[in-house]
Amino acid sequence: MNAFDKILLTPKNARRLLVTVAVGLLVLLMLYKAVYPILFDTYVGKSNAPLTYANSQPISEKELEAMATELSLNARRAAAEAIVGQDANAFARRVKVEMLMNTQSFMREHEPTHIKYFRDANILQYEGPKTCLQCHATIQVRHHDGRTSEVDTLDDIVNSVHFKFQSDGGGGFSTYGYDGRRVNAEGSRPIPVGKINRACGIPGSFSWTGWAALVESRPESAHGEVALRSEGCGQCHIGGNYQPATEKMMPIGDVPDVAKEGIDCLICHSTEYDMNQRYVIRDDVGLRWNQDRTMRAALTVGRSTTKNCLNCHQHNMGGDAYLHNEAAKALGEKHQRLLHTGAKRGNPFSPQDDLHAAAGLQCTDCHVPEGHKIPRGRMGVDLVANDLPDVEVSCVTCHSTAPHNRSKHKALLNGHLDRIACETCHIRALQDNNVVLRDWVHPTWDAEEGIFTPTDIYRSGEVNKGFTFLWFNGNGTFLANALGNNPNGSTEYDPLMQQLVRIEDPEILAAVREQAIELKKTYPDIDVDAYVEAATDPLSQLTPEQLDERRRMLDQNLRAHMNDGESRIYPFKLFNAMMYEDMGNQGPFGAMILPFDYATYYETGDTAASVKQAIRDPIVQRMYQEPFKRYMMDEFMAYFGVSGGWKTDYPLVDGELNNVEPKWMRQMGSLMVNHGIQPVGRDCVECHSPSGILNYRALGYSQERAAELENLDIVENLRPAASLSATDGG
Amino acid sequence: MNALRNRTARPGAQRHPDDPCPPPTTGRPGSTKTRLVRLGWSLVLWLCLFAFGASAEPAGDAGDEQLAEAAADRHACLRCHAMSSLAYRDPETSEIIDLSIDRDGLAHSVHGELACIDCHRRSYRRYPHPDRPAPGDMDCIGCHEGDDQNLSRGWVDIDAEFKRSVHAVSDSPKAAGFSCHSCHDPHRFRPAAVGEPLAQIVRNHNGVCLSCHKRLVSPSSTSHDWLPNRDAHWTSVRCVDCHTPVADFANHEILPAEKSEKNCVSCHSADPQLLARLYHFQSEEDIARRGLLAKAVFNEAYVVGMSKSPALDRLSLAIMGLMVLLLAAHGVGRYLARRANRRA
Repeated sequence: MNAFDKILLTPKNARRLLVTVAVGLLVLLMLYKAVYPILFDTYVGKSNAPLTYANSQPISEKELEAMATELSLNARRAAAEAIVGQDANAFARRVKVEMLMNTQSFMREHEPTHIKYFRDANILQYEGPKTCLQCHATIQVRHHDGRTSEVDTLDDIVNSVHFKFQSDGGGGFSTYGYDGRRVNAEGSRPIPVGKINRACGIPGSFSWTGWAALVESRPESAHGEVALRSEGCGQCHIGGNYQPATEKMMPIGDVPDVAKEGIDCLICHSTEYDMNQRYVIRDDVGLRWNQDRTMRAALTVGRSTTKNCLNCHQHNMGGDAYLHNEAAKALGEKHQRLLHTGAKRGNPFSPQDDLHAAAGLQCTDCHVPEGHKIPRGRMGVDLVANDLPDVEVSCVTCHSTAPHNRSKHKALLNGHLDRIACETCHIRALQDNNVVLRDWVHPTWDAEEGIFTPTDIYRSGEVNKGFTFLWFNGNGTFLANALGNNPNGSTEYDPLMQQLVRIEDPEILAAVREQAIELKKTYPDIDVDAYVEAATDPLSQLTPEQLDERRRMLDQNLRAHMNDGESRIYPFKLFNAMMYEDMGNQGPFGAMILPFDYATYYETGDTAASVKQAIRDPIVQRMYQEPFKRYMMDEFMAYFGVSGGWKTDYPLVDGELNNVEPKWMRQMGSLMVNHGIQPVGRDCVECHSPSGILNYRALGYSQERAAELENLDIVENLRPAASLSATDGG
Repeated sequence: MNALRNRTARPGAQRHPDDPCPPPTTGRPGSTKTRLVRLGWSLVLWLCLFAFGASAEPAGDAGDEQLAEAAADRHACLRCHAMSSLAYRDPETSEIIDLSIDRDGLAHSVHGELACIDCHRRSYRRYPHPDRPAPGDMDCIGCHEGDDQNLSRGWVDIDAEFKRSVHAVSDSPKAAGFSCHSCHDPHRFRPAAVGEPLAQIVRNHNGVCLSCHKRLVSPSSTSHDWLPNRDAHWTSVRCVDCHTPVADFANHEILPAEKSEKNCVSCHSADPQLLARLYHFQSEEDIARRGLLAKAVFNEAYVVGMSKSPALDRLSLAIMGLMVLLLAAHGVGRYLARRANRRA
């Protein structure tokens, strides 16, 4: 023991030391809790404030009873109609419904459960999470491995993708950067992964710059009067704050409590949730999304049903313009939400167009949640966050590996599972308005809505036009390209130089040309030939050196990940967009996409001005500074295939865009389509014929094997029976 | 076709049924006799190998043509049957019936060069296939009967053994329809090769039994509890080594539990019956690889003899070597000392 230790260990000094440490810790905690959030908000230019909602009003007990009676009647009527719906005679049906509705056991069973709870607890006003948490402070969570645990409800939801739209750690699927590294693999520097920090070609913006916007539209019907419309990412996310959960992107820090108060529990949990309450409101602090906080919605709270999920998710499945999108029929009692007429995926989940929806399955039957974490499955290409990356969501979980039971050729059909995903045969087409090529740079005036909208150069839901078939092993690239390879180990299958970068279908070429000619009327600078070439052959935008580099990176970095695991042929929706890009951060697979400011875009159609406005947002400016570069952007660029790290040259100099060019992404994105499942699969000859929908050569089959697959002698024997197989529901 | 059949059939006739399963306890505890039997079998093996090599050559053009024809036939069938998920759910039992054939497994099997229609009716060549096989289709003995005139124990014997086996005589509904194919998948069947790691052979053979007798290996199973080190036995001894008659060489006569071998000494002795069975494969391997000397020194032919641990074997050998060295050193020392003394 030396002298120093001796001094230290005298009781007096030890006590002093203890006090110092305690005070130090306390100060640190104070700094973290009180000072850090303020500094952070100032740094990224975001605000937080207590949130109030006009429709969160107390009601009297009498009103509660009246509401309870009505809601109970509604619920009973819906249940009764579902049961007696088969009776052909309308009058008989009505009488039966009435009888059933007044049957004692039926009444007990179908009264919304929370009416009683609210009455007993004397809850007469719904005040958001605060109200729910009175009883549900913690919940029991059953995990997929059979464990159960008790979790803090608020924590659970705040850390779920639905709130923070990002996940750290693995982030989900096996996404590979074009540099060959798996994104957020062990040992790499983790970056937040999800919609929060991705400028995406379809919505055209970052969630930071496009969270909530009020757009002044001038619809034809209003004869020049201004109508305010709502737009922005926040319409589909449960945070009610002025911004997405930016704090969650940082290594420390949490979303402030006031922001958590804005969580919209009811949009997922209430059967009577009114989507007409979902619109943008402006208050002293800024713009944010309103939500339904009425007692009416609160009284019908329960487990999430398909209807709840589709409040938002039909938007990216069937699309806003989809005939059976219920949420799109309740656009807001004021500031109506703008509809996105081009569909992102075009594969709806609804009884009319999906067999599972028709069978009454709930979303959570396949996407089985653990508390508020909901699995997306282990396969995916879009680098979107995933709460439960290890949980499987797949057809065979229910259907087994021998799903066909009725057809005479069931064994043959089952045999195809080896190479073909179920979706390949059981999704025959996407919605017609499925967007394939979207030009954000040359918007078109939409007279009916009174706004400028991005021009969809090509839309189609048809096979090999709106979607195509690729080998897929569950891996994807950083820009949403499916990875996989023919199990024969082909070196010719090369989607990033073929299927995803070349449109050769003469019909599509003609349609694109026609649109280009149309656009030229508004934008005389357009060179039609060059326009068509760039849109349908995006690699033409690369220099020969960049092309060589691309080739090299594909061979050296991605080939191995294409050969991983077991690949099967899946359908993929194709998508490309022309957007403004920061050419200082360009690589052989694309450059940093710049976001649009929605209001400027829709109101003026001046796309350059819209970009300028968006990148003036403080958080985009921060992105072009050293701390963000080091924390995130260098890694981001490496995955993106851009060498030399993130260049912090801010693309706005003296009010002008600097080194920014409109470009098509250098390859089409490929999005998985898994809904809109049809009971009747494809006929054999749709693939097994010389003019079939599968291009076997491009899929890496040898000449001989391709010929064999195109001309199967036995297919002829199947002809009469194939129609039988067509009635096979599996 | 006969040439082909001979080729594939003969190694099968050799009695290590290999991948498949059931079996016997053979051997005769007697020692010299066992060795003789073993010698006899290896002779047969060499003869077979010789016949195999010889038969291919004289076949000539006609043989090539047949081979090509058979290959084309297989290719046609495998277009579908090589799909690993070719299967259907039996409407009665709801179980998934697997119709797939492993391409590589078939290629390496004894039947790998046959045309599919050699065993399956010609009408199977077209799709859709007949609903069920005709009587006489896929009958092993039917094809193999003539193969073994020169063997002391042939297909007819195997047939007879099988008919005495518990699988054939049991009244249990589970045993209904038991046939050669229940254990021997003709699309994978291949005799265990001499020199193959024993553990592999044990795993393959027992895998066949356990594909039906699944409950045996469930974690809660108390089966075979009387056996010390049960799990160790299961990984190093084949089921058939105990579950066929000890005295006769009847490895297709699977015995019911109560009649099976329970005498430890049958194996754990200086001249164990396992020598004539499982370790048969290893002896051959030893001879080939390490020579008789090594075998004598390491005692490995000895099955699970006195020292079951190669490490112990090596250790004792090392100690022995050291002793010899010490003795030698001592001797040399004494010799030198003596010489020095003498000189002095």
